[in-house]
Amino acid sequence: MTTQTLEPGKPPELWHYGAEAHDVIAAKTLGFWLYMLSDALIFAGIFAAYGVLDHSMNTAGGPGEAQIVHPIAAFWQTIAVLTSVFAYSVATVALKHNYRQLVVLGILAAMLFGAIFLALEMLDFADLFAHGATPQVSGFLSAYFLLIATHGLHMAFGMLWLFVMLIQVIRFGLTTPVVAQLLNLRLFWQFQAAIWVCVYVFVYLKGAI
Amino acid sequence: MSEPELNPILHGEVQQASLLGYTAGFLLTLVLLGAALLLTEFHPMPSIYLLGSISGLAMIALFCQTFLSFGLDITRHNIWKSVSLVLTIPLFILTIGLTAWMFQQLAINTMIPGANIMPGMTMQPTMLQ
Amino acid sequence: MFVHLQGPYSFLFGRLTLAAIPYNNAIIQFAFVFAAIAALLVVAPVLYYRKIPYLFREWLTTVDHKKIGVMYIIVGLVMMFRGFFDGLMIRTQQVMADGPHSAGHLEAAHGYLPPSHFDQIYSSHGTIMIIFAATPILTGLGNIIVPLQIGARDMAFPTMNAISLWLTTVGAALIMASLFIGDFSTAGWVGLIPLTELDFSPSAGVDYWMWAIQISSVGTTLNAINVIATIITMRAPGMRWDRLPIFTWTTLSTSIIGLTSFPILGVALALLGADRYLGTHFYTAGLGGNLMLYTNLFWIWGHPEVYFLVLPAFGILSEVVPVFAEKPLFGYITMVAATFAIAGVSWLVWLHHFFTMGAGPKVNSFFSVATMAVGIPTGVKVFNWLFTLYRGRITFDTPMLWAAGALFLLLAGGLTGMMLAIPAINYMVHNSVFVVAHFHCMVLVIVYAIFAAVIFWFPKVFGFKLDERSGKWFFWCFTLGTLLVFTAMFGLGFMGETRRLDYLYDTDWFPALEIEEIGIGFYSLSCLLFGWMLFVSIRDRAKLKPVNDPWGKARTLEWLTRSPVPFYNFAVTPHVNTRDELTFRYLNHLSTEPDHFEAIHMPRNTPIPIIIGALAFGFGFGITWRIWWMTGLSLLGIIAVVIYRSFARDTGYHLSAEVMSQLEHEPPLGVIAESQFLSKRPLGGAGAH
Repeated sequence: MTTQTLEPGKPPELWHYGAEAHDVIAAKTLGFWLYMLSDALIFAGIFAAYGVLDHSMNTAGGPGEAQIVHPIAAFWQTIAVLTSVFAYSVATVALKHNYRQLVVLGILAAMLFGAIFLALEMLDFADLFAHGATPQVSGFLSAYFLLIATHGLHMAFGMLWLFVMLIQVIRFGLTTPVVAQLLNLRLFWQFQAAIWVCVYVFVYLKGAI
Repeated sequence: MSEPELNPILHGEVQQASLLGYTAGFLLTLVLLGAALLLTEFHPMPSIYLLGSISGLAMIALFCQTFLSFGLDITRHNIWKSVSLVLTIPLFILTIGLTAWMFQQLAINTMIPGANIMPGMTMQPTMLQ
Repeated sequence: MFVHLQGPYSFLFGRLTLAAIPYNNAIIQFAFVFAAIAALLVVAPVLYYRKIPYLFREWLTTVDHKKIGVMYIIVGLVMMFRGFFDGLMIRTQQVMADGPHSAGHLEAAHGYLPPSHFDQIYSSHGTIMIIFAATPILTGLGNIIVPLQIGARDMAFPTMNAISLWLTTVGAALIMASLFIGDFSTAGWVGLIPLTELDFSPSAGVDYWMWAIQISSVGTTLNAINVIATIITMRAPGMRWDRLPIFTWTTLSTSIIGLTSFPILGVALALLGADRYLGTHFYTAGLGGNLMLYTNLFWIWGHPEVYFLVLPAFGILSEVVPVFAEKPLFGYITMVAATFAIAGVSWLVWLHHFFTMGAGPKVNSFFSVATMAVGIPTGVKVFNWLFTLYRGRITFDTPMLWAAGALFLLLAGGLTGMMLAIPAINYMVHNSVFVVAHFHCMVLVIVYAIFAAVIFWFPKVFGFKLDERSGKWFFWCFTLGTLLVFTAMFGLGFMGETRRLDYLYDTDWFPALEIEEIGIGFYSLSCLLFGWMLFVSIRDRAKLKPVNDPWGKARTLEWLTRSPVPFYNFAVTPHVNTRDELTFRYLNHLSTEPDHFEAIHMPRNTPIPIIIGALAFGFGFGITWRIWWMTGLSLLGIIAVVIYRSFARDTGYHLSAEVMSQLEHEPPLGVIAESQFLSKRPLGGAGAH
């Protein structure tokens, strides 16, 4: 298959003319997906750190897992984030049918439930801080807060992105760059829900066992 | 960088959106996590099995999300996403798994005997209760 | 706030004060004068020939993958020189500080470098060579060559490509800034814990190191995304997976490694940053921290990283060896399989960097076997190269000399690596200079491959070959230096010399140290010869008429373009029929130039990437010195610029068929043709510049 001889009677095609066949949307979503995989590995590293630091020898006399996780309260957060992602999914279906107003409404609903998620999380943090459980107390608490806060920071950036997309959809309509961004945002937002599943089960539920 | 005549709405990745799939993914994830919560609250089995069960429920939820919510399959639009995900999952498992094994062995070798290494299974009174 | 900072602090300048500038230090004074002269030599001609607008228009705002690649290589070569100079200083200190009766000069009790300064030098030597010399050069080579090898017009994300370049440059700039403002980390390139904690390294040195690596890692991760997306989505028609050149395959697997492993480095350093800035206890010795967690996370990145560096080097060898043996590469499929086997297994071996940490025989055995397993696909590669050479028509042009040298070094480094993979041996030589000699052999494989690649592809990019005679002088001088330094170093390792010593207590080592010093002298001479080679080549460049294939025996698709490559790469996208497409066309007397043209679309230059770079420098410098307002504003600025860019409508322009025809039939427009001239002005009597 290296240097082959010509087949008689079949002149080889040497140059490619015709439309510049470059699928921009496919390239952009693949690129973004690859970024999401690297993001998944950031979370893998943080989960590994959490796995190392969530033992009694890492609590330095302070609270351990069982004392600070509230699975039922966190379930409300679960509902909030899943609903937010579902709202954005509705926006994606609206995009499929070219219903611009419904796309805008979906984004707004996603922002609302995302805000509820972040508010619940910040209330939880405030409660923990008030009880003296801060990241500076022990290695375990450092790991706990880092894991939750990293996910929360991703959610916050997602909220900003939702807002920017809101403006772009209203201003430019559903053009190719806007559609590519909406697809990317969908991957990002859905990914936050997937990571939350891991966080909920392996931090909140595991800690309460 | 694209031809202005092509309608982005008609692109395969936009058209693959499915309300049924997204709704199913949403509801299934919610139900599975709810089940895991109920198991944890009511504690009907020994801790180690409970941990295994909720891990299993989490895995199923993630699978549901992969197929229903992300919509990953091997069509032309999604195949590279699927392939790259499948190749990355082992790295996720290796990073966390080998680290956990390594540190468990380190704890056995280097920590003072009798120290409580795995506290997750015991109840401790603390300041927060 | 959260942590106790030693030293003065103000809102406006953070921890930065005039006392941070080491103007009393004789060595820094020398470095400053040297750097100032070098900077002057570069800046003065630019100003004299009034090239600032040209530089801004054509280079600083470019999104052309070839120019970005050239800039990557320039950054890498400059940093390689700085890293080499650090190495020279290390060698000189050690030969001067051998034994209790060795003399002390300047501020040192023995030798001429006090311990803390010596520590900073070997830390910066390692950090620079791995992250700011080898990585940028290999990234740059991939940037230039991969789109050409797959028949594409540019990378998938040209703007992001430029952003990656500037982020890497910012990291390098922070390291250079640490030379003159403040100090650098004393904890080695790996950041030995707990030395890197704030209590034990209270100055800004570790922060410089940490943020330089973090910022450039973002650039590397983005570049990995770009390369993978490009190779998957932008191959020319007919460029099937089984026709891809091996350099592209290795760049793909390298980018997969980069994409998946650099995030873990980010986590390892972020946790350290949290300890240093927020007072957390991830790695502290008390209050529930775990020191070994850092070592673990660092090396989860650290081992795939070395394969990230060596796989492109293997790819380069797979390109150079077939060309100069005038034979197709032996065992294409096994080469590709071995590449991915190496990449995959590299994720299973990281504990071999800390066998002695105490994980026990079960864990050590697993990682030891995995480490030995990775030698198998590497061996497959070596045999494939040898079988390619067998019965080939070998010519020892300069690139082939470098490739042959790389093969010998791979043997030495690989075999000593297999020795180190055995824990019983490892316990004996851990932390000795035997390890240092081993990994320097491996790194030199990379350096030799880099020089082979630069010389091999230089005519493609710039339109004239590098002078052969001075190139060979450079090679032999460099090789002599390598042999002297590292053969002696293996011996010293067995004699018990440990790493990172500013004072050596055993005078029996002196003869070997002298040999090493002579070797470093040859390295220094080879630096001059490198400069001489460039000078002679540029001086005599008019003698060579640019042709597509300057070596006369090229095989792969990138040689189908003109030399120097025009900014649009291929006037018409080629249709690929076989693996070594150019050889196929030569042997069958097929056309290598299209007869008619059509309109193409090109991406437009933009200042966004360099603005993001400048803001990233503000972020990095601000957070190192804890100048919070600078940090915050820079971060907000980056976010604002990214959002602003997302609103951009018109990011490209078209070149009509007539313009393409005109460009192709005119003589080449000089070194990497000026592209934006055309995007702004209508053509028609434009002519050459």
